[in-house]
Amino acid sequence: MTCHDAREWFSALVDGTLSADEAGPLDGHLATCAECRRELQRFRDTVALLRGAAPVRAPAGFVDRILEAARPAPWPRRLLRGLFLPWPVKLPIEAAAIVLVSVGLVYVYRTTPELQQSVRLESTPPVVTETPRLTPEPSAPSSLREKNQPPEQDKAQEQIRSMEKKTADLRDAPRDADRQKAVSRPAPAVAPPVGGKVEAPPVEAGRGANVPEERVRSQAAPASEPRADASQPRRPATAPSAVMSFAPPDVSGQLAVSDRDAALRGVAELVTRLGAVESRRVAASDGTTIELTIPREAYPEFVRELGRLGRWQPSQEPASFPVQVRVVLRIRG
Amino acid sequence: MEGRTGDDASLVDRLRRGEPRAFEELVIAYQHRVFGVALRMLGSRAEAEELAQEVFLRVHRAIAEFRGDAKLSTWLYAIASRLCLNRLTSGERRMVRAGEETLTRLASGHASPADELERSELEAALHRAIAELSEERRIVVVLRDLEGLSYEEIAAALELELGTVRSRLHRARMDLKDKLERFLP
Repeated sequence: MTCHDAREWFSALVDGTLSADEAGPLDGHLATCAECRRELQRFRDTVALLRGAAPVRAPAGFVDRILEAARPAPWPRRLLRGLFLPWPVKLPIEAAAIVLVSVGLVYVYRTTPELQQSVRLESTPPVVTETPRLTPEPSAPSSLREKNQPPEQDKAQEQIRSMEKKTADLRDAPRDADRQKAVSRPAPAVAPPVGGKVEAPPVEAGRGANVPEERVRSQAAPASEPRADASQPRRPATAPSAVMSFAPPDVSGQLAVSDRDAALRGVAELVTRLGAVESRRVAASDGTTIELTIPREAYPEFVRELGRLGRWQPSQEPASFPVQVRVVLRIRG
Repeated sequence: MEGRTGDDASLVDRLRRGEPRAFEELVIAYQHRVFGVALRMLGSRAEAEELAQEVFLRVHRAIAEFRGDAKLSTWLYAIASRLCLNRLTSGERRMVRAGEETLTRLASGHASPADELERSELEAALHRAIAELSEERRIVVVLRDLEGLSYEEIAAALELELGTVRSRLHRARMDLKDKLERFLP
């Protein structure tokens, strides 16, 4: 055994892990090698020095700091950490919450008519305030009409011109799908000014060529004042009804009669017989205006019967009629 | 490898049941040993305290993972050793070097008088010599000669072959013998 080989066993010798087979040759070498014996002694002293080193002590308060750090956090914080910190948990929960809230909102909306009504009101096009129509002769030029009108109707005629201008503007304007839809919808009317005096009945409502009967009926009860209209389905002429929804009728005209009451009864019978729906009636001193919706196939007979009741002068008639024809009929006499 | 002692087994059982007092007993029992390993490996008291705290918190969290086929102390030393070596080989190495330099400065006589009184020249030389060892030799000699672990325990804690432990320990002792020559009788 060389010195180098012998010194490789020093650790094992010092630690007492050397087997008898290994210890024999090493002992033999040490017995003959003074240098290795001295080296072994220095080796032992080094290990003794290490093992005799002063023990290290943890700093004061170390235990308390660890216990404090290991103390579980308050349950709300642990709950929040558990729920919201790990994103694999957080994301599905938040997505589910969004879906649940959305479904809840839709459910509440569907089961609450007031909400739906308010949404319709917000999406309704601007309400047009109309003045009542007095003498419907819009087919003639305005200058000619002025000449034909009696002087006591000048003021009312002015209002008519204003209204007809708005009607023409609306008809001439390009109508996109949304606007068409909005116009055909029962347009809400703004509450009339209290005490307002109406010279002639205003009869203008939504243009509902294909409006179902229910909808036509509802036009008499604007959304913004359903209760008021329900209590007053037939507004008297003196009632403040100058402000109405704006939607031009398909047909408007004047029926000159000798006996207005008889004509009104005749029109009522016609409405019943022909399956028409009267949606509004406004009586004034110089005439009564009736707004009604009549099926297209019944319209020719309606006109014929009007001719028997009096002199029917349509001021406007479309080239083609919708399924449900909206008629504004003014009975004078 | 030695199994758990009766005291260890009882303490582990209580720890698993979540007894706060059991964890306190564990910290009290092992605080100096764990802190000692950390200080001798890292060289900085602040670093050592931080790491030792991390060791105990890991034990607290992972006591259920303790299989019990080794002594509790060996498990603690294994965690401490692994954390020390990870830190020394990680990006925090520069800070650790600074800690070692602090220890070296203390050992070379630039420390305050209070420190000098507290630590003898021999102790300072010993710390410096240990700090100058390579990390893999240092941890073996610390565990063996300063903490008193057996070869088998060291091999288990460091997940090394027994022969590797023997070899590294012998090299570390030979290095220290040369560095501490003038303090030897």
